[in-house]
Amino acid sequence: MAGDPRFEMQIDFAAKELTVKLVYYGPALSGKTSNLRAIHWLGTSNACGDLMTLETKNDRTLFFDMLPITVSSGSGLKVRLKLFTVPGQVMHNATRRLVLQGTDGVAFIADSQRSEADANRESFLNLKCNLEENAIDPERIPIIIQFNKRDMASIRTDEELELIAQRSREPIYKAVATRGYGVMQTLRGLIRDTWTKLEEDHELEEKFGISPIHFMTEVEAKLKHDPGPRGR
Amino acid sequence: MTLDQTNAADIMMGDVVRLEDVLSRDSVTSVCKSFFGLFGLPVRVISHEGDLLADVHRDQPLCNYLNTLGNGERECARTVGVVRDLEHDVQTIVHPCFTGAVYRIVPLEYQGRPIGRFIVGPYVPAETTQPPESLLSIDESIDAATACAHFDTMPRVREHVAEEISAHLKGVLELLLFSGHRAQLASTMQVASVRENYRELAEKNEALKSSFEELKKLDQLKSTFLATVSHELRSPLTSIIGYTEMLESGAAGALSNGQAEFLGTIRNKADQLLGLISSLLDLGRLEAKSLDLKHEPIDPHALLSDLAATIVPTANRRNVSLDIQIGDETPKLWGDPVRLSQILLNLADNAVKFSDEGGMVTIRAEQGEIDAAGASGLGAALFTASRPAVLLTVQDGGMGIAEHNLSKIFDAFYQVDAGTTRVHGGAGLGLSIVKQLVDGHGGKIEVTSTLGEGTIFSVTLPAADEDA
Ligand SMILES: Nc1nc2c(ncn2[C@@H]2O[C@H](COP(=O)(O)OP(=O)(O)O)[C@@H](O)[C@H]2O)c(=O)[nH]1
Ligand SMILES: [Mg+2]
Repeated sequence: MAGDPRFEMQIDFAAKELTVKLVYYGPALSGKTSNLRAIHWLGTSNACGDLMTLETKNDRTLFFDMLPITVSSGSGLKVRLKLFTVPGQVMHNATRRLVLQGTDGVAFIADSQRSEADANRESFLNLKCNLEENAIDPERIPIIIQFNKRDMASIRTDEELELIAQRSREPIYKAVATRGYGVMQTLRGLIRDTWTKLEEDHELEEKFGISPIHFMTEVEAKLKHDPGPRGR
Repeated sequence: MTLDQTNAADIMMGDVVRLEDVLSRDSVTSVCKSFFGLFGLPVRVISHEGDLLADVHRDQPLCNYLNTLGNGERECARTVGVVRDLEHDVQTIVHPCFTGAVYRIVPLEYQGRPIGRFIVGPYVPAETTQPPESLLSIDESIDAATACAHFDTMPRVREHVAEEISAHLKGVLELLLFSGHRAQLASTMQVASVRENYRELAEKNEALKSSFEELKKLDQLKSTFLATVSHELRSPLTSIIGYTEMLESGAAGALSNGQAEFLGTIRNKADQLLGLISSLLDLGRLEAKSLDLKHEPIDPHALLSDLAATIVPTANRRNVSLDIQIGDETPKLWGDPVRLSQILLNLADNAVKFSDEGGMVTIRAEQGEIDAAGASGLGAALFTASRPAVLLTVQDGGMGIAEHNLSKIFDAFYQVDAGTTRVHGGAGLGLSIVKQLVDGHGGKIEVTSTLGEGTIFSVTLPAADEDA
């Protein structure tokens, strides 16, 4: 996260407020919007704001979806997590790039169906490209990968994902977003990795007196209504 | 809704900067009016920055009366000032007035940030039945009976009802806020996306333009190179041919049969090479647009009989018959006689080459037309549709050319396949030169072909004026 100061994580010391941007990226129809919907109905209502969707009439994301989550920690620090999805369709690349501006962490939502392997790869390369265009180093930003649609036929098997996970630099999660399985694990994993990175870069513990473990405990408490026993 | 005041960081975070950016004063005011109409409670909406966005109330007789009293007026102004500045991020504040009325201050929060508040009141909680001592003792000149009478006309509501009503108004305002924000984001994103797309396209255009310039330069370089090299090659070759001819003529003594035969072959090959180099030179000049074409009337009969004389020996050797036809009405051509012969010779030579043993080549001249404007172009009615021309066709019954190759045959150095080059010789220069020459004359060349049946080249060239 170097370069343009506009694109740094927003810290407001006076208000003891910190805004963290998390982007759900991935090919069209992989389940990004479904993830946010599930978080919205699983999360506690006092933490999750309203889900804003900007979509066309046939449910395709036009600009983005946005879900604000506010975690007021005991130490007086207020953390505003802003979850965004990008439009997956190839033609919306400019919009994807805009949404990606200033992001602090990325959840890449892959479609588990075998037929979608190419679309996943292409979208991931596109993610790398757009991060670079936004002066964000893809090697340094936290990225996690979710294999969604685990309930569908002809998907990559659990054994295959096991092998993939061993080779993968990014942590792998499994989910059925439409039923809420694995969605919260994915989100918690993303928040944990992002927070760890922010701690390294900004020494939040020193500035706000909140340790990463402490913060994650508070996040877990806020987002605890997760029924899903699946995933990692 | 102003886009320009919203800075880039807030757009990318999807945050609302100021309440008035997403809520219009008109819509807030009309919500407050209907609220006032329903419950009779005064409402003010204030942004986080302290701007008054809506103020719907009716002057209360009690307040008017108190304002006529020195202490009353002072205390009233103080209370209103305090209430206006009261703000809490999340909790509702109920602030008492010395009159026994209260103000209810409800914070508006959006996405975890305070964005403004609304104030309901003054109203008297229905639970309070008597005017308090603080009202009656506010000023020594107060008339208790008047004050009590006015007190009774104040809007009255039970606290838990006031709480419910406020919660309802909060819900309505937050909903307005949400949809206003949604609309703002959509339009901001729309504009930003268009800009971003434009930026990307402009960048790509720039790259294309510079690579096009690069190509043009290379092309120029190639043409100059061709012209120079072929010129340099020609001089020594002319000497080789000259000395060979001298040897053949016995200028250096009598030759044995074998020597004469070998010299014949040398000269033959040298001639071929010279022809090839001349073609290269032509191509170079044509591409550099430096070939001068003469323009004079040319009789089609003379043109075709010259052609026949030149081509007959080759045709005979391959046992190919020639059919030469000239239409009755065929006008004279307008062009360079040497170059026109070159065009026809090239096409006829090819036709003979690609004909099977015993085949037939038809060469025809007839009246034709050239479109002056694009055939059905805009304003075609205003242009002369066509002008007189001569159509020259050269048809063979050879193996034909596959459809996908037809568009490439006029490219320099292109041969339909490597095999035919080996069988028939040539460097693939012929047709590209022909095309350039035809273009140089303001004519056009077309080819149609059926695999296994043969090929027809049609050349349309401008006719000379009638009286020429
Ligand atoms: N069976 C199944 N369908 C899913 C799952 N997640 C999403 N979908 C469906 O896939 C389609 C696209 O989902 P959406 O969230 O709009 O994809 P987006 O383009 O990535 O935002 C919708 O019809 C969803 O109902 C899943 O885990 N299982
Ligand atoms: Mg979507």
